Amino acid sequence: MNLQPDDFWTFSEWLLRPGAFLESALLQGIVLIILAIVIGLLVAYVISSARYGPGEGFYAVARAVRDFLTIDLPGTSPSRIAALARLAFKEAIRRRVLFIVGLFVVILLLAGWFLNPESDNPARLYISFVLTATNYLVLALALFISAFSLPQDIENRTIYTIVTKPVRATEIVLGRMLGFVAVGTVMLVPMGLASYIFVDRGLDHTHYEVVEADETDGRITGKTDRVRRHSHTFTIEPGETQGLTNFVRGHRHVVTRSEDGSFTIGPPTGQLRARVPSYGEIQFYDRNGEPKDAGIDVGAERLAGGYGSAGISRLIGVAKGNRKLEHSYVEGGTLGMAEFTFTDVTKKRFPSGVPYEMSIRAYRSFKGDIESGIRGSLTFKNPDTGFSLPPKQFTVEEYQIDERELPLEFEWLNEETGEVETRNIFDHVVTEDGRMQVLLKCLDSSQYLGVTKSGLYLRPSESSFGWNLTKAYGSIWLQMTMIIAFGVMFSTFLSGPVAMVATAVCVLLGFSAESIYDTRHFIDSNIERGGGPIESLVRLLKQDAMTTQLDVEGVANQLIKSADAAIVYSMDAIATALPNLPRMVSTAEYAASGVDIFNAILARHSVATFGYCLLAFMISYFFLKSREIAA
Amino acid sequence: MNQSTAFRRKIIYLVILVATLVPLYLLGQPSDGTADSGGQLATMRQDFGIAESDLGEISPASETMKLASLGLRGVAATLLWEKAHKYRVMHEWDRLKASLNNIALLQPHYDKVWEHQAHNLAYNVSVEFDDYRQRYEMVREGTEFLTRGVRQNRQAPRLIWYTGWFYGQKIGMSDEKRQFRRLFADDTVLHESLADQGIAVDSNEALGPFQKPDNWLVGRLWLNHGYDVVDAGVKIRRQTPINFFETGPKWSIKHAEAIESEGVLDQRAISAWTKASENWDRFGKRSIPTLANFTIKLGSLDELRLQREGVIEKFRELGGQVYEDMRQEKVEALPIDYRNVYEKAPEERTQAGKDAMPNIMLMIEPDLEQLAQRLPAEKQLSAAQLLEEIEDLNARIQKTDGYRKQINYVYWESLAMAEQEERTVNARKLIYDAEKANREAEVDLAIKLYLDAFEIWAKIFDDYPVLTIDDSAEDLFESIRRYMIIIDSEELDDDFPLAAFAKMMMEDIGGGNAENYKRFRDHQAELAEQRRKELEEEERRLEAEAAKARQEEAATPQSDASPSEDPVDDGDKAEAEKPMKEEAKAEEPAATEEAKADEAPAAEEPKADESPAEEEPKSEEPATTEEPAAADA
Repeated sequence: MNLQPDDFWTFSEWLLRPGAFLESALLQGIVLIILAIVIGLLVAYVISSARYGPGEGFYAVARAVRDFLTIDLPGTSPSRIAALARLAFKEAIRRRVLFIVGLFVVILLLAGWFLNPESDNPARLYISFVLTATNYLVLALALFISAFSLPQDIENRTIYTIVTKPVRATEIVLGRMLGFVAVGTVMLVPMGLASYIFVDRGLDHTHYEVVEADETDGRITGKTDRVRRHSHTFTIEPGETQGLTNFVRGHRHVVTRSEDGSFTIGPPTGQLRARVPSYGEIQFYDRNGEPKDAGIDVGAERLAGGYGSAGISRLIGVAKGNRKLEHSYVEGGTLGMAEFTFTDVTKKRFPSGVPYEMSIRAYRSFKGDIESGIRGSLTFKNPDTGFSLPPKQFTVEEYQIDERELPLEFEWLNEETGEVETRNIFDHVVTEDGRMQVLLKCLDSSQYLGVTKSGLYLRPSESSFGWNLTKAYGSIWLQMTMIIAFGVMFSTFLSGPVAMVATAVCVLLGFSAESIYDTRHFIDSNIERGGGPIESLVRLLKQDAMTTQLDVEGVANQLIKSADAAIVYSMDAIATALPNLPRMVSTAEYAASGVDIFNAILARHSVATFGYCLLAFMISYFFLKSREIAA
Repeated sequence: MNQSTAFRRKIIYLVILVATLVPLYLLGQPSDGTADSGGQLATMRQDFGIAESDLGEISPASETMKLASLGLRGVAATLLWEKAHKYRVMHEWDRLKASLNNIALLQPHYDKVWEHQAHNLAYNVSVEFDDYRQRYEMVREGTEFLTRGVRQNRQAPRLIWYTGWFYGQKIGMSDEKRQFRRLFADDTVLHESLADQGIAVDSNEALGPFQKPDNWLVGRLWLNHGYDVVDAGVKIRRQTPINFFETGPKWSIKHAEAIESEGVLDQRAISAWTKASENWDRFGKRSIPTLANFTIKLGSLDELRLQREGVIEKFRELGGQVYEDMRQEKVEALPIDYRNVYEKAPEERTQAGKDAMPNIMLMIEPDLEQLAQRLPAEKQLSAAQLLEEIEDLNARIQKTDGYRKQINYVYWESLAMAEQEERTVNARKLIYDAEKANREAEVDLAIKLYLDAFEIWAKIFDDYPVLTIDDSAEDLFESIRRYMIIIDSEELDDDFPLAAFAKMMMEDIGGGNAENYKRFRDHQAELAEQRRKELEEEERRLEAEAAKARQEEAATPQSDASPSEDPVDDGDKAEAEKPMKEEAKAEEPAATEEAKADEAPAAEEPKADESPAEEEPKSEEPATTEEPAAADA
């Protein structure tokens, strides 16, 4: 998994962005809320002054605000909310939304046709499939249940049975939102369980027999049969009855030898994981040993996009261009290297050794010896004293995670006494405040090793897959909540279908935010890449390529370009204001890649969700209030 | 009133519904399985052979997927293609494969999809890996993807051809060809799945010198499978027939080349070359469709020329006196020098005169059409028929000649011929050993081996000059350079066996003088002809000896039973061999001519847009100037 810069932020870094406050989530939230209040007041004033005249209109708006703050908000009663939520819940259940769970099960049943258990990493495919399927289904469901309920009530005038009771608008809105969220939650639980079972069963397989087994000096080496297009080799050490197979397609088996010499092969283990990584800071050095921001770019093709959470600063043009971590390469046989500095390396976190994992890419500038892979070395170093362990050599294994462990003790030749001493890394390699450096070098000259910040990490502990899946479902739950809030918000002033379309548009804009950012970036920096919507249409009709200059002369050209700019800029503003859904969906990627979903990321998503829900709640309240007044 | 309008409306709707049912029924009625049954659509599907069952395997997963896309199949496919590209850029190989899988489910009968994505995996993705084993895995994935395409598309011989192309070209010509070929030979799992596909990997046709499947030969089996499909009546689409058919026989040549380069330089190499030569000859006898309304056989150029000669002779006879008169007119119209040469007795002509004679003979040949016009009316009809026949033959000859040039037919033919000689294999063996000795610093031995090898090579080049312009000639020149290094000399002696060759290669590398090739070839073309005769002579001698031995054997009374059967058998064989030999002989002069006329092995690869462009060896095309086609008459 290739993480992006903002994935590494802690919660407070995300919220405040020390040093770059313009990018902070807090600022974005504040701006959004202020904008909402200002625009809300303006719109309300315009409407009510049209209705009651300019003077009276002002008072009407002021009264509404006062009512909200002094009466409705403090007077909101949890029990009434609960009652209304129960109503919404019952109503949704009555609309047979639980069928979605059935649909999900049907999808899972058919999924086996389209998922390939013979792929190199089936766990990844399976997990990301179930999570994305759940995600889209639940989003669609949230869209449907939230957008239609209120308008229907208003249309059928059943809402009067409620509003004539002493119920506040805040309670109606909150009741709906919570009721629908409860429905969603009730559905997510069985879906989550079904997913877990599906993944677990889907990846399960049995090797029935051992096809080859040799015994030399009591040590048994052998090979299992071929199931799902793979087989394992295993070794059983002398005197043991059990041994492990090698890792193939992300899993291994336990092989047991019984008394009569037959073998039994256990179920697959190790394919459903949740590693808890501890990343370090990365610093590149060029061939002369000079520090550099990035390593060498070997010219691999890149995708556009990747603006991450630049927030307001991107919108107002302070931050430009995409931010994406790509693999940076270090040249072999030179002083070039990548230096990782890890913090918090303590005895408590690493009681029995320092497990570390690598996923590194290789790049050859000449063919070299085809049969031997490119070699690199890792040097563990104390950043303060400069003391380092002898470099550890390795051969690059691309596109898989190379798991290794640094033992706590090492042997060291004391030059004064001439004796070999056993020493502890915490005394020599790690500083007192728990810092340690790892230097990655390439040993073959003129060949290259590529790495990103997430390419080398320590792994202090491991979480359980079940819990990780739950977290991923938590992320889906957050998205669902957000959509429900939006749906309810739109349904307070739009008719059902329109509210649904409006919510869907918000979701789509959120999903395609990065392509909108891209389009704006291309327009800003005069890069021909198809232009805005009008220009694209013209190009489509004229069958022109994307990267040529727009073949329209004179005023028309100006007109198209400026209209496009206006459209794209406003879309950009809206997309920036909307929740960044793809980021939330991408938590699935963590679960699929066997990495524990960072708590900071979940916390960020929770806060963002809460913020958007709050905003939606306020807007809903005022619209409902205005309708009440009208009614 | 209101009610009656509503009722009337309902009736109208009902009528419209029923009315639309009729065309729907006529269009959509399903076929009951017999020919010409079912509605319009069903019959059309049958006519065009695009019913699912005609196209290939029916996959429920594919059908579900198509159904689930609710008619938005195109949109879904486009999104998936884009996704696949994204995954490729992000190096998400597993997901790339998953999306390719889904694309293939959505567009199972669009053969270009299979081709494109298989190429993507085997050529573009495989090189992203550093480990050659992972690369091989990707090549295998790509090839298996293609194989799936073959299974689902019965009417797409090009897919089958492409599979054969992958097994040969990708595995056998990459940078990692040694490793790939080794991995392929040991890939028992793949062999099993190939056997399931009906490719007989354990037959002699597929086994290499070490009794393991060889990628070139397996590729050839795939291609043969494609030829069978085409022979059964399926049309070749998106590919020229010549390109389609030449690859199979070429793969057996490539196989022989490959095993030689891997050090198999003994009887096994000879038999591989013999087989390759046979396959090439068989290719020469295959009818190949052309854009014209006739098919051609590449090996029958000479036969066609003879035929034309015969028809022209008939025409001359028909012309009789008129012909003679016209010829005399032409003679009289000759420029005076030419006329003098023409009228001299053959033995009196100077060398220049002799050289000019063929040209003069051409000049005095009357124009046949004019001749036909001058003929008396009763002969006009048969003259017109003969003329038509000549024109037809001309067209055929031109086509055949053009196609032969296009694929460099003669080069491959003579290559296979030269290489199956024992001395060629010996020469290669000597070079191989010399290189080994050189590497092991056994200088004296290396020099001796080199010289021995060069001696033989000189003779081979004398006989097959066309071999001086191919890949292995460059390797040989490298060996000469290494030889020069170990004898520590910048110059080669004049009596160095390959002096002329080395000089040519040096000049060529220096300035790329294409003329040299031509000169070199022209000069020694006659020698090649001689060698052929020598070989025939040798063969005849051997045959005679064998026959003698047989006679003796037959003469000695045998104690064993069934004395009657064996001789009969032998007799049959001898009989069968004879015409074959004659045929071969008939072809040979043509080949010689071509050897002169043909250019370097330029047409080795299929057209650029058809062949996977990557990793194509930078072809060994020497930029020979096109020689004018050998005069037909």
